[in-house]
Amino acid sequence: MKVEAVPKAEEGNILEASRDFLGKLLREGVVDYLLVPMEISHGRTVVQTLVKEPAHLDKANPFSPVMPISSAAIVSQLTIDKPEERLGAVLKPCEIRALIELVKLGQARLENLVIIGVDCLGTYEVEDYARLIDEMKGTAEEKGMQVLADMRQHIAEPDTKPLPVPLRSACKMCNSFTPVLADITLGLFGGENVISVNLESELVEKLGVEVKETADRQKSITQLVDSRTQTREQVFAEFREKTKTIVGFADCLDTCIRCYACSAACPICYCRVCFFRTDTFEPESGRYYRWVDQEGALRMPTEILLYHLTRLNHVALSCCGCGVCESACPRGLPLTTIFQAVGDGLQKALNYVPGRSLEEEIPLATFKETEV
Amino acid sequence: MTEFEPKIVAFLCNWCAYRGADLAGTSRFHYPPNLRVIRLMCSGSIDVVYVLKALLDGADGVLIGGCHPGNCHYQNGNYKAMRRVQVLKNVLRQVGIDEDRVWLRWIDASEGKLFSETVAQMVAELRAKGPGSMRTSWQLWQETAGCQLSGTEARSSK
Repeated sequence: MKVEAVPKAEEGNILEASRDFLGKLLREGVVDYLLVPMEISHGRTVVQTLVKEPAHLDKANPFSPVMPISSAAIVSQLTIDKPEERLGAVLKPCEIRALIELVKLGQARLENLVIIGVDCLGTYEVEDYARLIDEMKGTAEEKGMQVLADMRQHIAEPDTKPLPVPLRSACKMCNSFTPVLADITLGLFGGENVISVNLESELVEKLGVEVKETADRQKSITQLVDSRTQTREQVFAEFREKTKTIVGFADCLDTCIRCYACSAACPICYCRVCFFRTDTFEPESGRYYRWVDQEGALRMPTEILLYHLTRLNHVALSCCGCGVCESACPRGLPLTTIFQAVGDGLQKALNYVPGRSLEEEIPLATFKETEV
Repeated sequence: MTEFEPKIVAFLCNWCAYRGADLAGTSRFHYPPNLRVIRLMCSGSIDVVYVLKALLDGADGVLIGGCHPGNCHYQNGNYKAMRRVQVLKNVLRQVGIDEDRVWLRWIDASEGKLFSETVAQMVAELRAKGPGSMRTSWQLWQETAGCQLSGTEARSSK
């Protein structure tokens, strides 16, 4: 049975408390290795880091409000061939959802994996976060703590405590920011300057945590879900109004340079070899001339719409809304909106929620003989 | 003015729909010559990228022909095709492309008559609809007006 608890640690320092807790997971042998976001460049950004020695956790920041990549792809790399090693992966909710989709696609394994989910307060664009840290005073640790404290305050009082820079568009419309299907959850919502953990009761003594419900956790979550859902619906409505015609859809992709950054960043773009990177759609030059002979003029590079529509067909059902496609896009195309809005329509039509459960099969990967 | 003649790209499975087309021919059933047939081993082997490619490059309609459910030469390829087409049509609808330009039909090797009727019906419906919206993609890119959707401020600060 799972219980709510708080780690015993220095009051107020949530980063220290979380590192202490993660260190215990290693020391007590709950896991052999940890995959955790670690601050580098004096706290200006984080990178996912594979850690064995608890001593190396001194720069770990599981709550870092910046997500350069979705770690689901890294967990896939670390688990796909069923290793003996037990890995604990510190993941944001959207990363867990992507991981669950990868498991269903046979591209990640859960056998020796402990998913350590974290409450997500939202994330900033990598550039914005670095700038934010640069402009602050104090040690890297103090700055990191301050950023998180400001975000918690903003969530408690959204009208009077604005954020210093906007969140990534994916996070603004995200209404599932608490982990589902995590083995252990590190909680940030509710409570005053403390973190909570949610874990199997047999781990309570081993990890030295104190069983205790967090005040106002659910209330704080519900409030944010409501406001985010409202934003989400607004964004979707605007997109749907725009895409009543194909021209409106093309508007959203007008400056695409077809660099494939979105598909490289996407944790669930699942083909090992993408046929847009083969010569399937790169014919000999003469074909372009014959093509333009018919049309009169031809946009180069070609196949912008084909590329994005194909990706929508392949991944929109499993789209977890992490938005790393949009963050990776050098043109800043509204890819999160496109994939989340179309994904939402598709998921509702097929009654499928990505990352919700392991038993639910991806509709494209299955069929029922009775459905004709 | 001559009547608009739709161009249809037809993906037909080797075992049923393609043989249905063959039978239509040997049985001298007439059907309009608007079809460009691409033979596949199975309707389940089609990736939506090829359907999209046809539509985006100016086909007015795409016909996918497979075996009746339960009759697939490879057990269940047609069920897989069905799911893919269901997803495809949903996506098309959401991005402003007429989903009714894509037809998925089960046509048996013995159903030459059904094949010719299906094609005739599809051509008639596409004639009524007029040319597909993608007939000239260059024109489409000239009509685009750029995009400012709300919620993308963080990106524009880059």
